[in-house]
Amino acid sequence: MRFASHDTVKPKRAHRAEAIILFSAGRQTFAIAADSVQEIRSTDSLAGAAFEMQQSDLPEIRHTIRRNHRTYYVVNACAHFRLPVTRPTLVLILRQMRVAVLVDRIERMVEVSAIHPLPRAFASDERRWYRGLAYVDDHVIPVLQPSGFLTPEEFERLDRISEVFGAQHKMQGTVQA
Amino acid sequence: MSAKGIPDLCSFVLLQVGSRRFALPAGSVMELAPPVHLHTFPHNSPLVAGVIVRRGRIVPVYDAAEILIGRESPMHRFYLIADRNFVDASEPIAIPVNGECELVTSKVQPPNSDDPAYMCGKLDVESEQIPVLDLELLLAMPAVPAPGPERASVGAQVQP
Repeated sequence: MRFASHDTVKPKRAHRAEAIILFSAGRQTFAIAADSVQEIRSTDSLAGAAFEMQQSDLPEIRHTIRRNHRTYYVVNACAHFRLPVTRPTLVLILRQMRVAVLVDRIERMVEVSAIHPLPRAFASDERRWYRGLAYVDDHVIPVLQPSGFLTPEEFERLDRISEVFGAQHKMQGTVQA
Repeated sequence: MSAKGIPDLCSFVLLQVGSRRFALPAGSVMELAPPVHLHTFPHNSPLVAGVIVRRGRIVPVYDAAEILIGRESPMHRFYLIADRNFVDASEPIAIPVNGECELVTSKVQPPNSDDPAYMCGKLDVESEQIPVLDLELLLAMPAVPAPGPERASVGAQVQP
């Protein structure tokens, strides 16, 4: 047996540096690749553009927003990761997924030389949630998988619900007119 | 062979969890790490308490104390780093332990018929009977404690 001092994570091979955004949801810090985020807005600025989604069976999704004729589902990060829910102030609008993520605050943007694979001991939902782990300033931070917020089946289900809701909304508008 | 897969006379690392001692085959133990920072993040894997950083690697920490002694490990603890075999590879994992570990060579006796499946034998050391752990079976257990002398309460899933 060996007994040695503290250590830091060393990337095994030279990797291209990747920019990641560190943000917090509740008391937890997460990271997401900067190039997977299209826009960061304050929740106040979206107040008029968000629609409540009452029939969603996913507790982390309560709103949608319309952007470029597409419906984005607003995921509360705390609820998604089963953390105590706070009052989010920012929304990260993702680039390649129709998902907007409610978060508490942006901490900073950093470059990392490697994203470490999630150890095999993690064998549940987190394999879908996380791309891997980043080691930043002596902290291990989970790096989110943009496709891990909603499965294709959940997108389909939500799309059906929002279509029905949209049709009802239009009908109500017509009747009122 | 007197216990499952373990030769009669073999080297073991004795580790202390709570006030009880357990033995692991020395071949599976890599090192004893100091009480470094435990990093936690949301997940749903039973028994996994978080990760530590050792020798440039991110090592998952299994807190099996709830199964072994019926309660969580104390806060200030060392980590015993061992190799765990997964389907396609083996990876280092860490188990929180109290203080120093001992290395002993001893004859293995078969487990009692009512011992939990993760106890694959026992050692007689200084007139104390020390259970030998089958790491694979222990870590594959659902996070509910098995019968034991120190069981205090029914454990729940570890969810940092």
